[in-house]
Amino acid sequence: MAVDESYRTYSHPVYDFMMKVPGLDVMTTTVDKLLSFGSEASLWIFPVATSCCGIEFMALAASRVDADRMGAIVRGSPRHSDVMIVAGTITVKMAPRVKKLWDQMPEPKWAIAVGSCAISGDFYRNIYSVVPGIDTFIPVDVYVPGCPPNPEAMMHGLIRLQEKIRASANGRDVNREARPEAVHHQRLPRLPILGDPARTSELDRQQVASAASLGWWDELNLEQALDSVAKDLADESESEPKV
Amino acid sequence: MEMIPHVAKARRRANPYLDLGSYDPEADLMVLNLGPQHPSTHGVFRLKLYLDGEIIVKVVPFVGYLHRGVEKLCEKLTMVQLIPIFDKNDYVSPMMNEQSLVMAFEALLGIEVPRRARYVRTLLAELQRIASHLLWLGAFAMDLGGALGGGSTLFMYCFRERELILDVFEDLTGCRFHYNTHMIGGNRHDVPAGWATKVHAAINAIETRLPEYETFLITNDIYIERTRGVGVVDGQLSMDLGITGPVLRAGGVDHDLRRDAPYHCYDEIEVRVATATAGDCEARAAVRMAEIRESIRLVRELIDNIPEGPLGARKPIKTPLAEKAAKGHAYAAVESPRGELGIYVIGGGDNKGASPYRLKIRSPSLHVLGCLPYILPGHSVSDAVAVLGSVDPIMGEVDR
Repeated sequence: MAVDESYRTYSHPVYDFMMKVPGLDVMTTTVDKLLSFGSEASLWIFPVATSCCGIEFMALAASRVDADRMGAIVRGSPRHSDVMIVAGTITVKMAPRVKKLWDQMPEPKWAIAVGSCAISGDFYRNIYSVVPGIDTFIPVDVYVPGCPPNPEAMMHGLIRLQEKIRASANGRDVNREARPEAVHHQRLPRLPILGDPARTSELDRQQVASAASLGWWDELNLEQALDSVAKDLADESESEPKV
Repeated sequence: MEMIPHVAKARRRANPYLDLGSYDPEADLMVLNLGPQHPSTHGVFRLKLYLDGEIIVKVVPFVGYLHRGVEKLCEKLTMVQLIPIFDKNDYVSPMMNEQSLVMAFEALLGIEVPRRARYVRTLLAELQRIASHLLWLGAFAMDLGGALGGGSTLFMYCFRERELILDVFEDLTGCRFHYNTHMIGGNRHDVPAGWATKVHAAINAIETRLPEYETFLITNDIYIERTRGVGVVDGQLSMDLGITGPVLRAGGVDHDLRRDAPYHCYDEIEVRVATATAGDCEARAAVRMAEIRESIRLVRELIDNIPEGPLGARKPIKTPLAEKAAKGHAYAAVESPRGELGIYVIGGGDNKGASPYRLKIRSPSLHVLGCLPYILPGHSVSDAVAVLGSVDPIMGEVDR
């Protein structure tokens, strides 16, 4: 049984043995479904509850709208959690910390943006200190609109996330959810989200520079990072005439 | 309770400007960051703790993680547009924010509010105070007990009772949380038929359950061990730092704006101000529990005596005209659950004078946080969490 294993990067004695035995790959897919059911039915939440939506999030975890009955337990550490629920306004000062917490969470992980501040910045979006939507720096799976959304709406967000996990386990394509439509008289936030073709590398450089100007990120050697970004920019400008 | 002598000495009044260079180098200080993302910091607040073993030597608080530039926004939007935005400042008691803002604008524009609207505002304020203190009680118990310990029991119970008040508000305004029910010159939503019965039911339910909470928490030995003598903010320190509200009253200073500078219709009813003398976490909790009872009494008194009449001035002002916008200045303050919440406004700004030229929020939570460097040294780290929970800061109000 010839299996093309050139793409494989993962190796473990038990795993290698299982892949060599004929028919055992059926078991691996079954185990995969089981794991998916497990992660779907035990979503442990890491709350980044900064402002008003955080209070409604507490109501979600509390007695009337009991999120525990769906297996969604609130944990205080990102290393124990599967879902990050960002509830509330994220400011420029807080955003690097949210990103750091997101990076500390183990895979597989999902993010839910709760409330219009986390989705787009709401009416604070043009204020100098507010990030217009958390999807400018972390990938968001489910958006729950509202100011603040009811606990029932947050519960519906969790259910949508479960449906999404189930769909991905069944092999269906799960694209990232689109940001809710802006009301026609609202202006869209000025920062394009991650993965948007309109997002330039200049914007990345500016975000790194603004993080550097906070002055507490010295240990990450930001000058080096800025140099590398500048080098990338130079490479791009060189390569442009060739195209 | 026996206390180690040097700890007792440090607790009396710490020096927040302590020069650590003069500290014994063999003590091997450790720096610990509590926050900004921590389950018990009540929002995004960072405390930098210098520790000697487990005893705190020096505290440096950092704020600004929720700075949303509200005061700048006030200079761009008109007065009417600002009312729903002010709900989001102190998001545990949105009614008080609206009331303080609307009162400042009314003072600026010289608008008289009818008696019925003032009664309804008083009623809403007292209901909101109960809801806010219930949330504090649940969160405080959570801080003391830990997320998965016994503390979450009281958290669940307090939220069950808080939902009753939110239901009452939802009947009146249509919103659970951010109400937008005040207008310049009156109220937007009139009291619906049968509302008083619901309020009575909610209030009765809460009152019958209050003794249960006191059995759970206030008379619990472990609770007393964690709170008695911890985080003493005496009256003098409070007055030096401009602290108001329950923290001031727990230190023995009898000051309450509802009685001392009556607004709304507080001059027509008697407010019994609760005070304590110890100034520690236990005293602050006792003052807040007494305030819940007092608010319940006030709501009972108010709900059946709402006078007849119009709910707004001549005609509730939806868009103050530019020529009406006075170019003066005004200050209005209310007694929010956390202390004196004041709005100072200078009129005659953008939009042909319909937006303020400058607006300053005097938030009680910011002043309360100022006491932490004075009182935390000498305590252990777990006591820091208890103290932070007991002073009840709301970061949306601190950072604005």
